[in-house]
Amino acid sequence: MVRDPLPAALLATLTAVVDRLIPDDENGPGAVQLGVVGYVERTLEGEHARHRRAYEEWLLRLDECAAAEHGVHFVELDVARQDELLRRIEAGTSAAGELQQFFECVRTHVVEGMFGDPSWGGNRDGVGWDLIGYIGPKKVWSYEAQQLDVVANDDRRLASGGPG
Amino acid sequence: MTERCAPVDVAIVGLGAAGGVAAHVLTDAGLDVAGIEAGPRLTADDFRFDELRNDVHAHFSQPKAVHEVPTWRSDPEAEAGPSPWAMLMVNAVGGTSVHYEAMSFRFHRWTFEARSRVVERYGEAALPPGSTLVDWPVSYDDLEPYYAEVEQAIGVSGTAARVAGEAPNPAGNYFEEERSKPFPMPALRRTGWSELMAEAATRLGWHPFAAPAAINSEPYDGRPACTFCGFCQYNGCYRDAKGSTQLNVIRRAEETGRLRIETMARVLRVDVDADGMASGVTFVRGCTEYFQPARSVLVATFTYENTRLLLLSKSSAYPDGLANNHGQVGKHYIAHVVPFAYGLFPGRRLNLFNGVGSQVTCVDDWNADHFDHSGLGFVGGGVVTAMHELMPVAFARWPLPPGVPRWGSEWKRWMKANAQSVGALFTQFDALPYESNVLDLDPSVTDRDGVPVIRVTHKLHANEQSAHRFFQVMMQRWLREAGASTTWEHPVILVEGRHCYGGTRMGADAETSVVDSFGFAHDVPNLGVLGASTFPTAGGHNPTLTVQAHTWRAARHLVDEWASIASG
Repeated sequence: MVRDPLPAALLATLTAVVDRLIPDDENGPGAVQLGVVGYVERTLEGEHARHRRAYEEWLLRLDECAAAEHGVHFVELDVARQDELLRRIEAGTSAAGELQQFFECVRTHVVEGMFGDPSWGGNRDGVGWDLIGYIGPKKVWSYEAQQLDVVANDDRRLASGGPG
Repeated sequence: MTERCAPVDVAIVGLGAAGGVAAHVLTDAGLDVAGIEAGPRLTADDFRFDELRNDVHAHFSQPKAVHEVPTWRSDPEAEAGPSPWAMLMVNAVGGTSVHYEAMSFRFHRWTFEARSRVVERYGEAALPPGSTLVDWPVSYDDLEPYYAEVEQAIGVSGTAARVAGEAPNPAGNYFEEERSKPFPMPALRRTGWSELMAEAATRLGWHPFAAPAAINSEPYDGRPACTFCGFCQYNGCYRDAKGSTQLNVIRRAEETGRLRIETMARVLRVDVDADGMASGVTFVRGCTEYFQPARSVLVATFTYENTRLLLLSKSSAYPDGLANNHGQVGKHYIAHVVPFAYGLFPGRRLNLFNGVGSQVTCVDDWNADHFDHSGLGFVGGGVVTAMHELMPVAFARWPLPPGVPRWGSEWKRWMKANAQSVGALFTQFDALPYESNVLDLDPSVTDRDGVPVIRVTHKLHANEQSAHRFFQVMMQRWLREAGASTTWEHPVILVEGRHCYGGTRMGADAETSVVDSFGFAHDVPNLGVLGASTFPTAGGHNPTLTVQAHTWRAARHLVDEWASIASG
């Protein structure tokens, strides 16, 4: 594979976006803390390579929007303003309508990194799964573990990517 | 330079759900068969518990399917673009039966007689404008013995309701057609969720049942029982408990010594002789081109590739593509329309992130013509399923209840509080064929070798939109009866690009179909086409068991009529 990393400035913008999508808060670590930026970077050079150029254009455009509206880079906005801009982008009401597509794409990739198998670099130690109460992969689920309102007592998850 | 393979009686293109069954029936009858398969052989060790690898990044579609994803458009004047729907199947010995959920329904008798039955009950005016709804050229009774053969051969678990000569069993599907044999295994284990939904359906006066599935509920055919790992769909079974064809019919075919399997072999075309009969297939592996001579050719790939391969196989006898001298190849394309509804069961842990997708409760009360359609604006119906086997990434991409944000701290708080409390239902609606809905070769998009991909032209019609509304009402009623406090629906009408039909429709008339009731081409008597591409209608159930029963019947026909069908 030809290495084609995002330039540092764009990576910083991406990191700021990821941090707003799934922030670090009272309900646990955020996507940045769980390695999701690394997942997105890695897959942009592999499985998601078809989005690689678009990411670069989108991230530049996002920064242009921030500059046009507030005179600073996206990373320099306070989080309230970052959220406000992202909400308009999500709704398709920002000045840059094409960024709605970016929002959907990056949300998809962030969700993959947050809740996918930790062997891909995100969801560090399965903490993303903890957020949704998922115990993790197991070969055998007992009858009891499949009943309502119970938590499987044998909650030791397999090594990532198991079995095999 | 083309290398010539040893001649065989029959060459099968694609060793999946259909091709595997054909290989078994033909070799069992003493014919020599070559199976030309685009993918590798996979074993239990290849199947890992990794949603990103299996589901998201389509690991098992890498050999071929990912490089030729059909393009999509709804406007026949527009340029087609990337499909908005998932389109991929598996390339491997066993094909998509490697990664399917293995739900193994028989179609209702009504499905095979849909047009006549609609006209009989509601009049000609009930046929939606532009639809090409027809009766099948085969009946339930024609297929019944083959349904029974397949259920035994691949191992289907289920509760039979109506075995011939026995009293009906109320624990089975109330709407089941009569069957000559019971299922070879009892139904898969029930879960808290499947029981909760069954009880709610019963209170509504509906008739819930456990889905029949080609998954071992107990040891069967030398393979162990399922352990409900929850990595069944998009993945093969880590312990061979699923009835994927490489584990049963293909294995048996190889044991006869009469099946030679060519893996990683990409078929370029079906060749014809001077008489216009199929003479074999040309395929590529690595940098080498091979010709596999055969006295009969069975094209048994997925719906898209069946049509594509015929359209690519041009010759002087068939200038518009093989078996296409009546311009029917690619016509009458259908994809299931799949309404999804969601319900929040506050404070409950539903435990849906485990178990397998076939441990589900279904109802057929809204399938076929089991209810009066007068005034509803649509005909037909579909099986409604209370789904299992949630996956974390897929779940996190589900639509949320109105008012819940899709990101940020508020979303995270909602996910933490509710992720274990959301259940979902879906319907596989028997969408109709229409003149407007067709497959052809995309004029501008090609695979990595420069070969055109399939272009889908698919318009959603009023019949399907009315059905979507109807099923949303029914599903949300069912969820609320089971205790959901809030219900919501997917914001778009979902089309299931992997449950797709037509393109090589079967029928009695060469002017309106491509193949006969056994799957043999009207124009090319020794060419068979197998799979859901031959279905005249979609049916309101998962298609695979019907694909396999139809294939068994087609292969028996080839054996019985060998002297008149085979060339040379």
